[in-house]
Amino acid sequence: METLLQQVINGLSLGSVYALIAVGYSLVYSILLFSNFAHGGFLVIGGYICYYTLAAVGNNIWIASLLALLGAGVSAVVVERVAYKPIRERTNVTLYLLIASMGMSIVIENIFVVTVGGRFRALPPVIPTNPVNVFGMATTSAFDILSLVMAIVFLSGLQLFLSKTKWGLAIRAASYDLRTAGLMGVNVNKLISIVFFVAGLLAAVGGIFLSVRYTLYPQLGLITIKAFVAAVIGGLGSLPGAVVGSLILGLAEMLTAGFISSQMRDIVVFGLLVLTLLWRPTGLFGKHVAEKI
Amino acid sequence: MRKISVLALLAVFVVTGFAAGAMAEDVIKVGYLAALTGDWAAYGQTELNAAKLAVAEINAKGGVLGKQIQLFPYDFRTRPEDAVNAFRRMAENDKVVAVVGANGSGINIATAPLANRYGIPQIGTVSTNLLVTVNDQGELNPFMFRTCFTDPYQGQLIAAFTAKELKKNTAAVLYDVGSDYAQGLREFFMKYYEEYGGKVVADQGFRAGTDVDFRAQLTTIRDSKAEVLVLPNMGKEMALIMKQARELGMNDIIFVGGDGYGEFMWEIAGDAMENSYWINHVAPEDPAMADFFANYKKTYNDECKEFVNGILAYDSIYWLADAIERAGKVDSTAIRDALRNTKNLQLHHALMSIDPETHNPIDKTGVVLVAKDGRAQFYTKIQP
Repeated sequence: METLLQQVINGLSLGSVYALIAVGYSLVYSILLFSNFAHGGFLVIGGYICYYTLAAVGNNIWIASLLALLGAGVSAVVVERVAYKPIRERTNVTLYLLIASMGMSIVIENIFVVTVGGRFRALPPVIPTNPVNVFGMATTSAFDILSLVMAIVFLSGLQLFLSKTKWGLAIRAASYDLRTAGLMGVNVNKLISIVFFVAGLLAAVGGIFLSVRYTLYPQLGLITIKAFVAAVIGGLGSLPGAVVGSLILGLAEMLTAGFISSQMRDIVVFGLLVLTLLWRPTGLFGKHVAEKI
Repeated sequence: MRKISVLALLAVFVVTGFAAGAMAEDVIKVGYLAALTGDWAAYGQTELNAAKLAVAEINAKGGVLGKQIQLFPYDFRTRPEDAVNAFRRMAENDKVVAVVGANGSGINIATAPLANRYGIPQIGTVSTNLLVTVNDQGELNPFMFRTCFTDPYQGQLIAAFTAKELKKNTAAVLYDVGSDYAQGLREFFMKYYEEYGGKVVADQGFRAGTDVDFRAQLTTIRDSKAEVLVLPNMGKEMALIMKQARELGMNDIIFVGGDGYGEFMWEIAGDAMENSYWINHVAPEDPAMADFFANYKKTYNDECKEFVNGILAYDSIYWLADAIERAGKVDSTAIRDALRNTKNLQLHHALMSIDPETHNPIDKTGVVLVAKDGRAQFYTKIQP
């Protein structure tokens, strides 16, 4: 029983970090109907900005996080302007956007390989990681609780932004039909920039937590494959779906590794993906059948 | 740039080649295969420096059999194909009687057929894989040797240390399922640990490169009540494992690892590294090595940071010199026989005996390092 509880806590904390990243995938997908594979790159950018700011300003995690979030958000907007805007203005075939995003992810990864080198770096211990006892039944680290709390804070913030603000309304409208939203007077380019900024910002939050926990290296973005799987299981384009999918995935990974075999966890993760696609091709919360690439 | 350096290197070889020819037969020609460029350059340069130091010391004392040793260094650029070419040159152009190096199993596995064909003995420094001295059919490579102990032996040392030194009878293993090295260490650790009366209560795997979260495995290990966690791996995963274990409140479990220890692990694991034990070939604080480190620093004005490579290269030369002395003549086959019959030879870092059947060192002394106060320190020497 204690072990189960422990593994559930482990799974939730892993799932919450997946959720931050998966939401970014879903957000972009809901507007532009393509999977932005450069998303992992924003995460890495956020991580490196955090790392170097920490080194420069003397371990002030607040300043470093703020800069990382802004920096990743801005670079997401820049990537959209440079790589995606010219394509979406010329064609509405989303396959080209998908390919461009794969290209961008390779470009971003290699910019870091060339400039800062491929070696992995450990962030200074700015976030407490001491063990915390949960109701005398399980032990988790303060860091896990913090990442869970931060995931909830940021995801709730996103929900508030989408439901209470004018731009949130515009984004929701655009997710139903971008073209019509444009015809109704929504500034589509600005809207897309905002969406990318928000996605980049969330990626940076995930990036900071991932790099504190698992060290920072240019290929860290590859971890987003799992988050992408989570987004697909939940239903690409659906934000609640992305969160639920991430938690399912985090739990599935931890419970498989804990109770069946640690070598089986990837088989289970990708098996879940295949099963979901067979039974509900649109994912658990998917709204419409569209090409999912 | 690369072209120029290759040309320069060639020029150096040509010049040394002529010089060697002029001195004719009063020198003993020894090839040295080192990675002077490429991924392993840091190791290779240290090795060559250490080997040159050993040669200079031996020559200063009158050489071997009254002859001076002359070193023929070649760069294999961390690539097996360059190593093969270099070996050919050493054998055909330089006519060396023995080759020392390289510092990787893959390289020595590639050069083994050449050593056998030319009949020139080769001594690998840190080549721990079994297939260096025997081929994959289990037949002996008659001219291949190594100074280090093998992977299976290292697994046995970990078992001996855990069961006899630490006196802990329950252990868990968390190993990289994708690595031959980790698999080998784990297998032999488990075999000998049970022999020494220990019990492996949890045997968990992970995949290096893709897995970064080990809490699921660690939770299982915690529930198994293991007193020791054996980490027979290489790379940063071990640091992450130790850090995550302490975060899960596993404060009492003792970490024991092999020669995968790296300085970089402190950066990731921080205090979680403290009081972990690492079985290794040599230790920087080994009192027997103090002279070597002092001379190295004096000669090269640099710390010998890659001390495992440095010490093993240094002692490989001494071992070879001893074998030539015992062979009584400068002849490759006679030297091979002498290497093969090495018994209780006191090298600087260990007592060396060779098993003639496998060409592996027998019961070689291992060193245990303890991680304390932010660095690895000499703890004890150990034999199974």
